[in-house]
Amino acid sequence: MVGGFFQQSSVYMPLLAIVTAFVLGGVVIWVTSGSLDTVFLAYEGLLRGALFKNRGLSESLVATIPYIMLSLGIAVGFKAGLFNIGVEGQFYIGAVAAAWMGASLQGVPAIIHLPLTVLAGAIGGAIWAAIPGFLKARTGAHEVITTIMMNYIAFRLTEFLISGPLRDPNAAAVQTPRIAPGAELWSLYAVPERLQDPLNALLVALIVAGVGFVMARWALPRLARRQRDEGRAALLNSALAQAGVGVVAGLLAFAALPALTRLWWPFTDQYDRLHTGLFVALAASVGVWWLLWKTTIGFELRTVGANPSAARYAGMSITRNIMLGMSISGALAGMAGMMEVLGVSICRCLPLFFSSGYGFDAIAISLLARNDPLGILLSSFLFGAMRNGADLMELTSGVSKYIISLLQALLLLFVAAPPIVRWLYRLRAPGGREESATVTRGWGGQA
Amino acid sequence: MTPALQAIGITRRFPGVLANDRVDFELERGQIHALLGENGAGKSTLMNILYGLCQPDSGEIRVNGRPVKIASPHDAIAQGIGMVHQHFMLAPPLTVAENIMLGQELKAGPTRVLGGLAVLDRRTASRRIRELSHQYGLDVDPDACVKDLPVGAQQRVEIVKALYSAADILILDEPTAVLTPQEADELFVIMRGLAKQGKSIVFITHKLREVFAVSDRISVMRAGQMVGSLAPAEATREKLAEMMVGRKVILAIDKAPAHPRQPLLEVEALRVADDRQHMSVDGVSFHVRAGEILGVAGVQGNGQTELAEALTGLRKAVSGHIRMGGRDVTRATTRHLIESGVAHVPEDRQKHGLVLSFSVRDNLVLCAYYKPPCARGIALQFPIIEEHARNLVRLFDVRTPGTATPVGSLSGGNQQKVIVARELSRLLSHQADPAGPPPILIASQPTRGLDVGSIEFIHRQLIQARDQGAAVLLISAELDEIMTLSDRIAVMYKGRILDTLDAATATREHLGLLMAGVLRGDDAGEHAQPAQQITHGDVKAS
Repeated sequence: MVGGFFQQSSVYMPLLAIVTAFVLGGVVIWVTSGSLDTVFLAYEGLLRGALFKNRGLSESLVATIPYIMLSLGIAVGFKAGLFNIGVEGQFYIGAVAAAWMGASLQGVPAIIHLPLTVLAGAIGGAIWAAIPGFLKARTGAHEVITTIMMNYIAFRLTEFLISGPLRDPNAAAVQTPRIAPGAELWSLYAVPERLQDPLNALLVALIVAGVGFVMARWALPRLARRQRDEGRAALLNSALAQAGVGVVAGLLAFAALPALTRLWWPFTDQYDRLHTGLFVALAASVGVWWLLWKTTIGFELRTVGANPSAARYAGMSITRNIMLGMSISGALAGMAGMMEVLGVSICRCLPLFFSSGYGFDAIAISLLARNDPLGILLSSFLFGAMRNGADLMELTSGVSKYIISLLQALLLLFVAAPPIVRWLYRLRAPGGREESATVTRGWGGQA
Repeated sequence: MTPALQAIGITRRFPGVLANDRVDFELERGQIHALLGENGAGKSTLMNILYGLCQPDSGEIRVNGRPVKIASPHDAIAQGIGMVHQHFMLAPPLTVAENIMLGQELKAGPTRVLGGLAVLDRRTASRRIRELSHQYGLDVDPDACVKDLPVGAQQRVEIVKALYSAADILILDEPTAVLTPQEADELFVIMRGLAKQGKSIVFITHKLREVFAVSDRISVMRAGQMVGSLAPAEATREKLAEMMVGRKVILAIDKAPAHPRQPLLEVEALRVADDRQHMSVDGVSFHVRAGEILGVAGVQGNGQTELAEALTGLRKAVSGHIRMGGRDVTRATTRHLIESGVAHVPEDRQKHGLVLSFSVRDNLVLCAYYKPPCARGIALQFPIIEEHARNLVRLFDVRTPGTATPVGSLSGGNQQKVIVARELSRLLSHQADPAGPPPILIASQPTRGLDVGSIEFIHRQLIQARDQGAAVLLISAELDEIMTLSDRIAVMYKGRILDTLDAATATREHLGLLMAGVLRGDDAGEHAQPAQQITHGDVKAS
């Protein structure tokens, strides 16, 4: 039963799929360019562009952030038995909602405005996803169909809002007004500067205190179990100790962070677009993991997803869980759109020609990660790095950057059909039946 | 005389199990050979190997003394081996003739070539089906639509299908599981006729009674090995059961007489529609008292499923009343009913009772995960859930490597024990509290497809629940089960309860006739008539 990390099929199968996709992609490059050198040149360019060129890593991370949020959204849906193809549309609605909330208040400090704007993005996405959820729960309309349709409505609605009611009358380009500074997601470069404002420092301190408190709640009881001395164990278990850790962490952050954050200045510059949304994405993946595996809400979602009949027999409400699963999924996607507006876009606004394509890649990412939050972090980075490295690859080797789409398609193919990979490497199928990645249940089988 | 079919030293290993361990099996010509064994004993693997559905790791198969290689069902059919699966492989919208021609339409015979186009020759096929059906006394109409045929007739179509492809050796996989006792007897007559005309038959079953009714030879498998082979004259039920389980089995459950008290579950003129708005339960009234088991007998599909669903809040009643412990719960939700004392062992354990990909531990809290002590707020309390699971696994003798093992990897018997453990433990916790909710257990087909050992265990649990004061409603298609466990027996036919008999005086024949709808109960007429009139009125209104 030792079974190392790499002996788990959920680990080695995606790795083999990645390797196989790159090898096969190399063959395609070789054949189309007629030279084996081009293959190495291309992959070298891809790697350099993704990691080692100036700001390469941080640009890869900029693309990783929305990937994480969107694939978490898809994963939550999958776990609840829902194939939410509409994350792209929910991303747009989240972006619009955030652009509106960000620009409609002025002069409000970040400690109020930023949470409000984040919430607006999440709610926008959640509502957009709840509509197909409602249709499925009530009428049995399959979410694959309805979410695709909702995507188109979202695209056109966004265009209408940007060029109509939400248009910035003072700008030459068709775009929404620039959001207030208080609603911006800070770039990492700007963090020390932002922390000069005591209200901003307070916001960060509060967040750090919250994280400290949660971690103390998790860690202290475990420490207490190892304590022999009963008095000490009781102290560690007390709510006071947990709150104390939170308060101390918050105070420390308030006092030390402005100085500490200056330490990363040598590694960044003002053109660096990497923003604090990275922490939001990391927190979201921990949050999704906790929600799915450690709470009654996740237990219900997973039960409904794995066997809706059994869920019904156990007294769970299918309707409620479909709505909830879609809403959480949409909220995560909406937050991805929100972060693009608040953290990435250069005009700090939503321009008319705003397109991402992130949502469709995210489907592949969550499949590759088998809907596991940790796997999503890694897979998102892989896709973010490929997306970012493609330009330099094209520049240095002359290979079209669309070869990336081919690589991703091959990857998806191998992940979706494990028997191909197993046949290639002469692997035996594991005993369990949960092996194959279940994409979705039959069309309209159950309401 | 060389045997028609011989398997010598068949070994087949699946990851983690030796499904067949040097199995020898011999089928004489013109013989009916019963193959007995618990679920997971390796019967199906052996038959799948003989029919080419899976390949042995080692061993040899001989047909009429010649060694053969059977790589696919196609090869098996070419060697004259036919199989009738437990779940029929028929296309319901097609006619009998079309179903029988399926897969053979390209061979000479059913196809004529007309100007370069192959045309199905239905007429020749129909004629041959009639001949076969007549020759073996099968009574199959080639032009009937399969979906219109009763189950017994569909099974005969499967047999004709095998004979049509010139099978000399027939493998019947649990053929009586879907039949009434009378239909089963008809099947046995057909099997005898086939054997007399030189066909050799392998008859897979786990019902001991049937083995004695029809077979010429009996082989028993256990844990992948052939335990022994004997003539029916040398065998007794006890001996066969012992061979199957590997230890002495007490077949007759000794149960003390019931001491029924106040009625806990009362159903009055209940009418329930199925998914197609057909009244599956059509004016049913009965009651179950604390400390008794009411058995509901009947062939599957006569409204038992819908009745159980209505009693557990999964299906809304069209009219009528359900009372539990005196309170009207006709419109209650499933969760409300669970909390007000109803334990439910659903009919289809894999589809309705369990989440197969979840661990044993999670399945054991499927109805209680949301409230203390399993959860505090929304945070699940894993140490408590784990302890709960360990207790139940021990108490109900669930054979599992651990509480984190996915339920789907357990055997059928152990899966059912997980459900029984979950439901009965809830019941027991209710009983501890006299002011608590009334303990009611609804058990649908609680032992379907299980091995003798697990059946014995679950039966004891049901009796024990009764003796501790629970009202038990036992719905089962197995007449033996109903007769062993029940204190009173209600027979359901086409959505009605035709009669309710005292279990002590009911006979198998009488129940069988009621199940087939041939006989009506003494009091059925007066109940049934008015109910029918209401039916039509309501259907139109709704």
